[in-house]
Amino acid sequence: MLLFDIVFNGNDSMYAEAEKAVNDAIAKYGEDKAVGFPDTAYTLACYYAETGTKITTLKEAKEALDYIKTIMLRERRLDSAFNSGVATALSAELIEAMKYVDGQKPYEEPYLGHMTDAQIRELGVPLVTGDIPGIAVIINAAPSVEEACALVKSYQAQGNFVCLVGGIIEQLKEANYKTGFNVRVFPIGENISSVAHAVSAACRTAMIFGNITPGDKKALQEYTFNRFRAFVNAFAPLDEKTVACGAGAIYYGFPVVTNDMDYTPSVPKSLIKQPKVEEFNATSLEARDIKIKITNIDIPVAFASAFEGEIIRRGDMQVEFDGSRVDCAELVHTCEASEIEDHKITVVGPEVDDMELGSKNSIAYVVKVAGKKMQPDFEPVIERKFHNYINCIEGVYHTGQRDMQRIRISKDAFAAGFKIKHIGEVLYSQVKNEFDAVVDKCEVVIYTDPAECTRIRHEVAIPTFDKRDERLESLTDESVDVYYSCILCQAFSPSHVCIVTPERLGLCGAVSWLDAKATNELDPAGACQVVTKERPIDENLGAYEDVDEAVKKFSQGALEHVTLYSIMQDPMTSCGCFECICGIEPFSNGVVIANREYAGMTPLGMTFPEMASMTGGGVQTPGFMGHGKHFIGSKKFMKAEGGIERIVWMPKELKETVAERLNKTAKELYGIENFTDMIGDETIAEDPETLVAFLTEKGHPALGLDPMM
Amino acid sequence: MSEFKLTTVDEFEAATNRLLETGAKVGADAWQIRVKNQTPHCKFGESGVCCRICSMGPCRITKKAPKGICGCDVHGIVGRNYLRFTAGGSATHSDHGREIAHTLYETAADGNYKVKDPEKLMRLAEEFGVETEGRDIYDVAHEVAEKGLMEYGKPFGKLIFLKRAPEHTQEIWKREEIEPRAIDREVSCSMHMTHMGCSSLPEALIRQSLRSGLSDGWGGSMMGTEFSDVLFGTPREVETEANLGVMVKENVNIVVHGHDPSLSEMICEYADSKEMIDYAKSMGAQGITVSGVCCTSNEVAMRRGVPMAGNFLQQENVVLTGACEAIVVDVQCIFPALGPLSKCFHTKFITTSPVAQMPDSDFIRFNAKTAGENAKMIVKTAIENFKNRNNDLVYIPDMKQKAYVGFSVEQIEKKLDGVANTHVDEMGTMVPLVDCVKSGVLRGAVAMVGCNNPKVRPDAAHIELMKKLIANDIILVVSGCSAQAAAKAGLMDKRAKDLCGAGLKRVCELADIPPVLHMGSCVDISRMMVLASRIAKDSGWNISQIPLVGCAPEWMSEKAVSIGNYVVATGIDTYLGVEPYAYGSDVVDGLLKGGLEDWVEAKYTVEHDIDKLGDLMIERIEEKRTALGI
Repeated sequence: MLLFDIVFNGNDSMYAEAEKAVNDAIAKYGEDKAVGFPDTAYTLACYYAETGTKITTLKEAKEALDYIKTIMLRERRLDSAFNSGVATALSAELIEAMKYVDGQKPYEEPYLGHMTDAQIRELGVPLVTGDIPGIAVIINAAPSVEEACALVKSYQAQGNFVCLVGGIIEQLKEANYKTGFNVRVFPIGENISSVAHAVSAACRTAMIFGNITPGDKKALQEYTFNRFRAFVNAFAPLDEKTVACGAGAIYYGFPVVTNDMDYTPSVPKSLIKQPKVEEFNATSLEARDIKIKITNIDIPVAFASAFEGEIIRRGDMQVEFDGSRVDCAELVHTCEASEIEDHKITVVGPEVDDMELGSKNSIAYVVKVAGKKMQPDFEPVIERKFHNYINCIEGVYHTGQRDMQRIRISKDAFAAGFKIKHIGEVLYSQVKNEFDAVVDKCEVVIYTDPAECTRIRHEVAIPTFDKRDERLESLTDESVDVYYSCILCQAFSPSHVCIVTPERLGLCGAVSWLDAKATNELDPAGACQVVTKERPIDENLGAYEDVDEAVKKFSQGALEHVTLYSIMQDPMTSCGCFECICGIEPFSNGVVIANREYAGMTPLGMTFPEMASMTGGGVQTPGFMGHGKHFIGSKKFMKAEGGIERIVWMPKELKETVAERLNKTAKELYGIENFTDMIGDETIAEDPETLVAFLTEKGHPALGLDPMM
Repeated sequence: MSEFKLTTVDEFEAATNRLLETGAKVGADAWQIRVKNQTPHCKFGESGVCCRICSMGPCRITKKAPKGICGCDVHGIVGRNYLRFTAGGSATHSDHGREIAHTLYETAADGNYKVKDPEKLMRLAEEFGVETEGRDIYDVAHEVAEKGLMEYGKPFGKLIFLKRAPEHTQEIWKREEIEPRAIDREVSCSMHMTHMGCSSLPEALIRQSLRSGLSDGWGGSMMGTEFSDVLFGTPREVETEANLGVMVKENVNIVVHGHDPSLSEMICEYADSKEMIDYAKSMGAQGITVSGVCCTSNEVAMRRGVPMAGNFLQQENVVLTGACEAIVVDVQCIFPALGPLSKCFHTKFITTSPVAQMPDSDFIRFNAKTAGENAKMIVKTAIENFKNRNNDLVYIPDMKQKAYVGFSVEQIEKKLDGVANTHVDEMGTMVPLVDCVKSGVLRGAVAMVGCNNPKVRPDAAHIELMKKLIANDIILVVSGCSAQAAAKAGLMDKRAKDLCGAGLKRVCELADIPPVLHMGSCVDISRMMVLASRIAKDSGWNISQIPLVGCAPEWMSEKAVSIGNYVVATGIDTYLGVEPYAYGSDVVDGLLKGGLEDWVEAKYTVEHDIDKLGDLMIERIEEKRTALGI
């Protein structure tokens, strides 16, 4: 059969299923029944992105079927095949949506189904930085369980995000292969229609980060084609519906690699036949032009960003190191080149083999660096990456920083031969890899001897941290001569520009002023550029001609003005991967802040995803602003509107995280003690009336301020 | 980036009209005026029924006088005329190829001409059976040139290049007795056959027309292409610009025109030298701009990115800008009108070839041995003429488009390698293209070639057909003045992908190509023959089965008929927008438009309604797909 005819038939089948699913649901619940996926502001995302129309009721779902029918063209042209592919994806999305009607939970672990907005936003930064180089969607069962595991592992080891549909999920389950969002292996569903959840993720990425106007089909296709590095692996035997979905995938720019050799013709760079499953990985990456940063580190386990989110439970743990109980430290120390022997790794004290199973131990590692361009200001920048480096080791887990880190080594990693010295190998390789512009030589000393750890912690590390804190304290927006622009996100969010100042870190929370400075030193033509601040327009607003020029230049003219300290007048834009979003709460003259992890309702009547959808993608929405968590305690937080005393509500967990700094700032600025006690949270209020009553009772200062609008 | 928009034929014509106003001011003649004077054309000539082969006539066939004095009927007369027309074209292309072979023979390590593509030379040496092992590259070059020159007059055997065709095609040629022997022999034989008292059997005359055409396409033209590549480099993708706006008011403008790249390459070389640029500055100009017209332009655009000022019917326009210091011509398609026209301006009309000598021109005889000096003298003449410009007459239409050109078979292969997958596919094949066609992503291809002809609204047929075809996912390979029409319109800008159907658009994006691929000058239609052969080999189809047709909607020259004959004889259906002088005989006409199919699996279709011509091509391509079951 001709390829296009297979697509048309597959489209017809999927459409018929969707029609039945919608009609059945209407018969059961009536036309007015609500429709939607959980934790998303873009419902139903594929249909919304394609048409600009949200589907919220079964009646609207039925209307959507009429529209889908109109794009099911049947000419022998690729245009018809592409449209039919999209029609297939939209039909599949309706089928999936029907599964969620009436609060049903259609998917049980390991199946995950719909991906939340928060998860997509969380993927933003690693997608942008290339830590997630690609997104693999694997459909159907592999020829064997071993091949299934090997393929998924190969993608995971490169840091790719893997979505699974169909038989391969059971294969992984059979092999006890760990899956889940945190390890970037996302089993979606059993039926081919569940692939709609992967398409939905692509469409939401375009709307969230790319500021693609829902309904702008052409812009959506260009965004996914040029920026969303996904691809499909589909195992034999293919059926018509899968091929029709494939046509949709190819339309969006995602090539399909299959081992079904006879069913369809090949299409270069789009539909590729590869009989050898072991070569699916390389074939797919080449087809989608994905370059993997090769980090060949000589350790007995894998090293990849996909393992960053891996959690090691106590039962799976060989040994742990815990800075909260025993003396630990991690430190970068600048030395003279003559003092360092490059690539020397020394372990002072016992190795893992000498430690008891399940024991808690001390560890302190000092990474000595030397380089002509090295500056002490870069030490914390490098040091902060240790968390990421160590976490990327398969079977090793790291949290915390400075002298409060906690590390666990799994039994599996230990069995594979992983040793303390390998941590040194990882630190060495990654520091040399990522900081090659400033680090010429690097040596690592790891102490596991408890007495040495105590000495390093108290005599070396803590005095260094104190000195650094002093330096950081002295770094204010006023005390520096330049700010930095950051366009790290532009691969995904083409018109967003961050202006990073000492008191206002990038809204992703990942780029501080020092990071930006180091990034600029490392690559002077790179993502972070110097922005002067010589021509102020209004210092209270944080408006500068220099900043406006920079923003205009780096947004390719999309933005003209940005203020640093106002959320009402020309607020800074967001890419979409912000940690928090604040929005004005009109009844109290204040603002509500929600963080990405918070899944509940806010007094604005909006969830985090809904608030987040108000901005992002490089657009300015006065009254809403994305920002980093750390910014909440800053004296510059919406300074133009009065500063942090406008904060009236935060999720409890976030409030606790930022309490110390926030209270300190409040004390300094307004003389208020324990300011966080005056701020509401979800345990106090989820609606404006209750919130205002609480604020009134507490005498919250915002109530006395001028309205913001 | 400024918004991309095609330039329309209306806009071309508005610019031309503005230039004709300048012409009127200085009393210049123009083809637009001459066409009026020549209309209506002689119907006897146009239908091919006028015989002036002997001095008993001229005889012309009418109902009342159905036979010539010798008794030859209309079919014999039309057939003879058709064959002579073909032989004229074949001789022209092949003689061009011969000149290039002579230039190759003149190459030397320290000479005016060097070997720029030794790899291609080595491949040709192997094909020609020339020993390469341990030999100096120039010894090899000379022997290859000599071997090539022998192809023109060898007493025995068939042309070496025929072996490049698929077996099936070679078998057809043998079966139909149309395998060309020596190149010159086929021209001579054609002249012989058409002499008074020789052939009057239409089948025999048309068969020889095919053979003479094949001796061009698979002989002289192919030689011209291949040896030019050895001498000046095989074309690779290069960015350039097209239309009169490429001429620069502040610079000395030298326009090269004709077909043979030997001279123009040398002129470009000198015009680029510091010495000449400094000299131009000393004469008050800001620099030197070399641009081209016709196929010489295609040659230097493909290899150097030299901008294209225009195509055949725009040759007078470059002089009418008043900013052309010299129009330097070699051979073919040069209007004798340029002489008198140049006298109305300061422009020097410089002829260079003994083959193309014209009144009112400065003749600077160009010779491969003295090429450097000749070119330098020409460039200097142009520079020194800058001061004679009448600035009141200067008007350069601000009209040009970006174009990516240089799609030799080698470049196309490289682009295809770019979309192949190294883990699955073999590199260096046409398979990715075949796969696109098999799957339906591309419906097929059209090779569009040929001239301008005032009988068709100039450029409009080329451009409108291309627009229609690309919208239907049909990729274009083009050459000659057709290529320049595309470039002027903007169809060779990669952004033209947005005018394509979804399939061709995706192919353009993935392969990073424009939808209309510039394959070169008119001799480079031989590249298209090689391409078709490669596709046939990699698909397992016969050439005639490939969803591919040829098209010359605005053709006018004898060369075009020769080309048409070899394209059809190679198995590619060919669509014309202008009748060959053959419709006076239903037998000859019937052969060309039908009977040939039994011989060579392809035929001609002529349709004056250009839109319908497009529909017919699309229909034929779909028919071929259906026949293949794809």
